[in-house]
Amino acid sequence: MRLPGVSRRDFLRVAAAVPVIPSVMPFRQPMRADWLLIPMDDVQAEHLKAYGLTFRAIQRGVKAEWLLNYRGGSFLLPSDAAAARDAALNGITVEGLSDAVVTQIRGEIATSNMDAVPLEKAPKVAVYVPPFAAPWDDAVTMALNYAGIEYDKLWDVEVVEQGLKTYDWLHLHHEDFTGQYSKFYLNYSGAPWLAEMVAKNREVARQLGYANVPALKKAVAQDISAFVERGGFLFAMCIATETLDLALAAEKVDIAASYADGTPVEPGAGARLDWSRTLAFQNATLDLSPTTPVFSDIDGHQVNSGDRRQQLGTFTIFGFSAKIDPVPTMLVQNHRDVIPDFYGLTTSFTRKTLKPGVTVLADEPGAPWVKYIHGEKGQGTWTFYGGHDPEDPQHQIGDSPTDLTLHPHSPGYRLILNNVLFPAAKKKELKT
Amino acid sequence: MRLVAALLLVAGPLAAQADSLNRAFDMERRGNYAGAVVAYRGVLKNRPADVSALLGLERSLQPLNRSAEMVPDISVALAANPTATALYGVAVRTYGAAGMTDSLRRVVERWSQLAPKDETPYREWGNALLARRDRTGARAAYLAGRQQLGQPTALAPELAQLAVLEGDYATAAREWLLAIRKLPGYRSGAVVTLRPTPDAQRAAVLKVLQDDGSPDAQRLDAELRARWGDPIGGFEKLVLVLPADPVESRDLLRQFTEALRGNPAPAYRQAMGRALEAMAQRSNGAQRSRLQLDAAQAYLDGGDRASARRMLASLAGDGSTPAALSASASGTLLRLLVDEGKMDEAERSLSQYRGVLSVEEMATLSRQVALGWARAGQLGRAEALAVGDSSVEGLALRGQLRLFQGDIKDAVELLRAAGPYAGTRAQATARTSLLALLQPIEEDTLPALGIAFLALARGDTAGAVPGFAALGAARPRDKGGAELLLLAGRLEAARGRAPAAEKLFRAAVDSAAPATAPAALLELGRLMASSGRGGEAVPVFEQLILDYPRSALVPQARRALDEAKGSVPQ
Repeated sequence: MRLPGVSRRDFLRVAAAVPVIPSVMPFRQPMRADWLLIPMDDVQAEHLKAYGLTFRAIQRGVKAEWLLNYRGGSFLLPSDAAAARDAALNGITVEGLSDAVVTQIRGEIATSNMDAVPLEKAPKVAVYVPPFAAPWDDAVTMALNYAGIEYDKLWDVEVVEQGLKTYDWLHLHHEDFTGQYSKFYLNYSGAPWLAEMVAKNREVARQLGYANVPALKKAVAQDISAFVERGGFLFAMCIATETLDLALAAEKVDIAASYADGTPVEPGAGARLDWSRTLAFQNATLDLSPTTPVFSDIDGHQVNSGDRRQQLGTFTIFGFSAKIDPVPTMLVQNHRDVIPDFYGLTTSFTRKTLKPGVTVLADEPGAPWVKYIHGEKGQGTWTFYGGHDPEDPQHQIGDSPTDLTLHPHSPGYRLILNNVLFPAAKKKELKT
Repeated sequence: MRLVAALLLVAGPLAAQADSLNRAFDMERRGNYAGAVVAYRGVLKNRPADVSALLGLERSLQPLNRSAEMVPDISVALAANPTATALYGVAVRTYGAAGMTDSLRRVVERWSQLAPKDETPYREWGNALLARRDRTGARAAYLAGRQQLGQPTALAPELAQLAVLEGDYATAAREWLLAIRKLPGYRSGAVVTLRPTPDAQRAAVLKVLQDDGSPDAQRLDAELRARWGDPIGGFEKLVLVLPADPVESRDLLRQFTEALRGNPAPAYRQAMGRALEAMAQRSNGAQRSRLQLDAAQAYLDGGDRASARRMLASLAGDGSTPAALSASASGTLLRLLVDEGKMDEAERSLSQYRGVLSVEEMATLSRQVALGWARAGQLGRAEALAVGDSSVEGLALRGQLRLFQGDIKDAVELLRAAGPYAGTRAQATARTSLLALLQPIEEDTLPALGIAFLALARGDTAGAVPGFAALGAARPRDKGGAELLLLAGRLEAARGRAPAAEKLFRAAVDSAAPATAPAALLELGRLMASSGRGGEAVPVFEQLILDYPRSALVPQARRALDEAKGSVPQ
């Protein structure tokens, strides 16, 4: 006998699963499950915090698994009182499963475009954050804080003096590595936050023995590139993506406006850029206006350039073969395929400026730009995600930071957190 | 035929030039500035003094940071049409951008010869220098204009704003006075730019205004004082220089009230009352009554009861006051009397309104008087007034009066009969909370509880708390003890007595009272977090979530936990 509309597999899953959803069950009730499944489909009450739960479990030495493409990229943990407590405190939906059900799931994974990737070692995370209060938020810092993932903050002094040797994962957000203060210098002249930003940057450049801020930022960009070459995982958003590559390409060329380094832009600077040094982009055309916060034609949306500004659409996440391409598959795990776009000083990346070999993870179909890209350099990898804040499409200077308790299911933020967990994947299992 | 051919010969090139200009506009609009530059220059080749093309060229070069490249184009244009004043503005900006200060001066001189009474050449000159951050040069340019034009008020707004840029607010005030004298509309600009004057310079600015002594200076003085924390001083300055014309006076007073609006501080509300009263004195009919009523409300908010009463008595006794306003005034006056504890007077007033006010308005005022009697300790008189009131609000009031007498059984019955919807939302919530507190109490009467609630109704929190705390401690936690301790804790927290509140909240956390314990834990955690003890608050919120997972307060606890951990912005 078969119930109409219910497959045997679904029936078994429901029947054998111990419905441990700590948000509605007293925590101290003994749990009889062998495994805890953290579903990441629409059942999940706290998608973003679920990453933190998994991260903390790995930190405690628990051998977790990332079930790629299974129910939105769920996580599987051996039944663990600490994890159940963590889930209860954070309102994260977990399901207690018996060995039999997990065997059933593994069978399903083996025969579908899914895979189970072991997560063994929590990466040591660093976030590149300036030591002053910039009037804009940082999506990654907010996501890490909200998920409860530990990280260290560092800036130019730490990068230059210590070379990022003790970190596995580095995040960059709204830093202008061309050293031109995001080209806000003239338009926001007199603003206290800008004055502080300029003063701190100049102070650090002096302290580290660089002639000016653009020279300092070029050195920092080189160190970050070397970090990737040595095997580091780099994740960057907003203008950090574009300006990091511009700074790398301009190692021997002056592309900074005179207010930044005291000298005008070198004549013919655009033609002398060395694209062999960059991670993602090539053959871009520089925008040398000192008053327009636009750096080049790498960005497809040009949000601050009047008539060139493009409207926001939606971007679509690509699907990959979980067994053949586990890395891109991990980076795109989500419960949504189509996500509303959001602006940043760099919102997107024009296809024409992408280097060959760059993997596109998400794009706007039919548009000349892509949103989310990934690639390798040396032993390491980098991932670039355009835009500033996935839940604030038009974040303005001075806007209050996004409150993620209002966006616990944010698919745009999930892409950020995929990057944090991906370095925890057991390397020998990776096929690309 | 020959005429047609001639027209075509002329129209052909003209149409081609218009097309070129349109093409250039289109390129500029699409952001192809480099292409637009070439296209505009194509137009200028044939018509070097074409103002549209020159302006387009200027706009297109600016985003390319190549404004200085316009120098040859503008020189040719001026040579082609040296009397076209429209070209000179472009010339000034171009020479300014190129840093050609001598050429800049010369072109301004030529322009001023063409327009000898016009401030514009000097304004553009100064602005071009300001764009290069040359404030000294800009000031010299503006002053040269003033001298050349022979007008002491010329370019005063520009000089005032320049002085603000340089942080010299006293000079800015002096220049703004000149500007206002020339055009009174500048006063709002003056207020906006002088408002951020640093504390250290405010006395100097006020001295400039006092020394000037003109009505304009006095009005500016009044508005600035209002914005700098001395609204009453500002009003007193203003009232001295109000013009005789009532319309003009009201207008000035209304502008002054704008400076006061939104500030709830007593001094601001009192100043608002005085300004509105002054406006009422210069008004007639319904407008006068409305202003008097607003003035009374402002006085009340500002704690000036005497002035409020004066306004209201005048309104209530004025036969020409519209009925609706008269009712509002009567109600406000009665509430004032009740608040002041003048119950005999309040009850006399109430009887005077009978027949004047509607039944509903009378019932509302009667309940207020009854509550006033209760607060005064005259529970019998309160009951006598309330007894005939069978409305849901009346039932709620009677329930409250029974509670004051310690009659728990009747109080619960009456409050339950009033239901959850009578009165305002806040009143309904308070009544439901009160019912939740009373229902676990098994005794029919508990006079000590009535005394504590009555003290609370009188505003005597310090007197009420020991009663609640003692009753809570003495009773079983599941028989109302926990709720009473929680109430006492909340009152102590509201009084700023954090240690006492913390002790009471901890005492209220008891698994025997599973509905109260989560609320007590939430209050305890919040109290700790608000006093900078976020780390200690974390396990408190965690206890709430883990021990009482079915509590409706769990989502609030998770939010508070996130805040205590710094996981979300506060």
